[in-house]
Amino acid sequence: MALASLRDVRFTYAYSDRPALDGITLEIESGMVHGIVGLNASGKTTLCSLIRGIVPHFHKGELEGSVEILGRDLLEWDPAELSRTIGCVFDNPFTQISGIRETVFEEIALGLENLGTPRAEMIERVERVVEQLGIEALVRKNPNGLSGGQRQKVAFASIIAMDADVIVIDEPTSQLDPDATDAVFGIIADLKAQGKSIVLVEHKIDLLAEYADRLTVLRAGRIVTTGAARDVLTSDELIAAEVPVPEVTELSRRLDAIGRPFVRTPITSAEAAAAVSARIQEASNAH
Amino acid sequence: MSTATLAEVAETYRHPESLGNFLRDRNPITLLVALVSLAVVAAAVPGLITPFAVCAVFVLLAFAGGVGPAYTATYLKLWAVVGFILFLLRALLLDGEHVYFTFGNLQVTAEGVYEGLRFAAVVMAICGAVTLFFALVTMRRLMLALEMRGVSPRASYVLLASFQSMTDLGATAKVVLDAQKARGIETEGGLITRAKAFFPVLAPVFLSAMTATEERAIALDARAFNSPAAHSHLVQLPRTATWEWLAAGLFAAVATACVMGRFLGWL
Amino acid sequence: MASNGYFARLLRGYGRLTIFMIPIGIAINFVGGQIALLLKLPVYLDSIGTILVGATCGSLPGALVGLLSNAINSITSPQTFAYGILSVIFGLLAGWFGRMGWFRSFWLSLLSAIPFALVGGVLGALITIWVFGGLAGDGTGIVIGTLVALGMDLTTANFAAQMPMDILDKVPTVLIVYAIIRGIPKRLFVKLPLGYVYLGKPAPKLAPATAPATTEQQAGPRS
Repeated sequence: MALASLRDVRFTYAYSDRPALDGITLEIESGMVHGIVGLNASGKTTLCSLIRGIVPHFHKGELEGSVEILGRDLLEWDPAELSRTIGCVFDNPFTQISGIRETVFEEIALGLENLGTPRAEMIERVERVVEQLGIEALVRKNPNGLSGGQRQKVAFASIIAMDADVIVIDEPTSQLDPDATDAVFGIIADLKAQGKSIVLVEHKIDLLAEYADRLTVLRAGRIVTTGAARDVLTSDELIAAEVPVPEVTELSRRLDAIGRPFVRTPITSAEAAAAVSARIQEASNAH
Repeated sequence: MSTATLAEVAETYRHPESLGNFLRDRNPITLLVALVSLAVVAAAVPGLITPFAVCAVFVLLAFAGGVGPAYTATYLKLWAVVGFILFLLRALLLDGEHVYFTFGNLQVTAEGVYEGLRFAAVVMAICGAVTLFFALVTMRRLMLALEMRGVSPRASYVLLASFQSMTDLGATAKVVLDAQKARGIETEGGLITRAKAFFPVLAPVFLSAMTATEERAIALDARAFNSPAAHSHLVQLPRTATWEWLAAGLFAAVATACVMGRFLGWL
Repeated sequence: MASNGYFARLLRGYGRLTIFMIPIGIAINFVGGQIALLLKLPVYLDSIGTILVGATCGSLPGALVGLLSNAINSITSPQTFAYGILSVIFGLLAGWFGRMGWFRSFWLSLLSAIPFALVGGVLGALITIWVFGGLAGDGTGIVIGTLVALGMDLTTANFAAQMPMDILDKVPTVLIVYAIIRGIPKRLFVKLPLGYVYLGKPAPKLAPATAPATTEQQAGPRS
């Protein structure tokens, strides 16, 4: 069953003149990492909000077309049930800490408390997720005194502890340094390995190239292209949407332009390294 | 080493949270009833001895609760700032028949001094109950105890988040204030200058705190904050024994008797 | 009182964002007061949050901000609790003025300082007289004492000391509330109970949260 199925969707926020999403038809499959890219104000966050029901339940507006989440019409979902089914991690590490718990352990347990999880199970789940994310050193600390990167990890832990099958992640690294960014993508890879469905908005295209299975490119509220990550990253539409292409793909394009193309366009640095060493091998064999 | 710590931390949540002190491990609600009852007794029973005795009992209780020195310091300060002024103003300004001495328009009378002492002691007994309660009980434990008695977790959220917001917003405001100073905006000097600094510092800080509530609401919703399910609790308070409820009831009964006695003229 | 007790129902009825506004209002009250002290201003400026939340979320949330701010203040200086009713009335009044659209206009906002100062001055003085017999143990108490020593009677001294103080306090308070409200984006107003006032819309027939969440989009065409 598709995680989300959108047909001819158009959404305009209340008191806005221009639709934030327009003519969106998109199928998001389960069990994959689905990346969403685009410039600012291209509708990425609105698309995430729609899948999570934040639009139109919290941010009001006019919704046209049909949106099905896990086979059920979005408007038939009970908002509380939807928020339990689809976990959500946001970009701002500072507004995701509740401010009402005194240790990281208690902070991570908050969502489980709200769901009424029995204490023994709650403690086990928090322990497991703390180990999974390697944040053992933080558990005793006050979450309100942590750095942005630490808070973002705690935010992830809090959502993962609630064990939703689908997790929507909106620019999780926009306010983080490179180390914390790597840590967050490690978590995402881990979630994927566990069979979770992930919708990921991210502007660091090199990271998406490495982790995403499928990609959707948005521009001004419309889909420019969507499909397998490799196809999208090597397509010309990506450049048309003014989205940066991965560095290695750009390299390959330039080689292409001078008539020395790679056999297969690389999208990650590992692939590029392989392609380059093959080229070197080839060159030394030729001599 | 870190995994051992995690297991240890997890283990602490499997047991009721004890603060290692008899008084502070009591249920916050029974403690509140007892302290309020004492304050009521101080106000209801006439004379000077009772309110002063109650104030002394609060200090003794603070020592029993392991917060003696800090509480005594706070309480003495409160006496000096509030209690002493309440006494002094009454002693100086209330009229009476037994004049001790006259000082310009002011007359110090025996009645004034008595009323001043009595009033100061009663107000201080009430203040003492409140300050002692919060010296012994954290807001977190109080809200947890109230939630166990059926108070909505939303009420807990409002109170606990208020304290955190004060800290966060206060820190942000000071950062902005310092930044303004660094940019050469006057925050010292004449009254008008200082008053003018107030607006550009606070308006944007307050505005962004308001707009951030949207993100907070969505982020907490993702943590099942709006879930209709009955909530469970990670932290447990020590079990409240029957005797504790009975003792609280006894305190309340004595206080009620004192109030009734006062109105019916027994005291 | 179950988890959907009175307090919870009250807050739900007031829209989902109100419950998050109340702690912010309380924090604004405190930080306003703190910064006023830091800048050594001779005013309290500790009811900005009460009036702001009242003006944008309605009377009851405003009153709640006032009451809770006062209660929290009372933890460290319990004698202030006697004045809690003032903060409650500030919140109620702010909600009422907000509903009438006063905070949309600079001059009406400024004008609202008068009723606020009247309540603060007159009722404040009355509480001092009733509860503390005319002599509360704060800064104003000493002013009053001095006035009495100079021959003024106690009641008059209370009003004389309190009124100017409150005018001086409420004028900058309502001005900063006005300035903040002007800066609130439409998307936030949409989610606030009194937001319709500032968006120039008619009052919704139902309280926002009890109305179906999807009214607006049901009105739109669906294919």
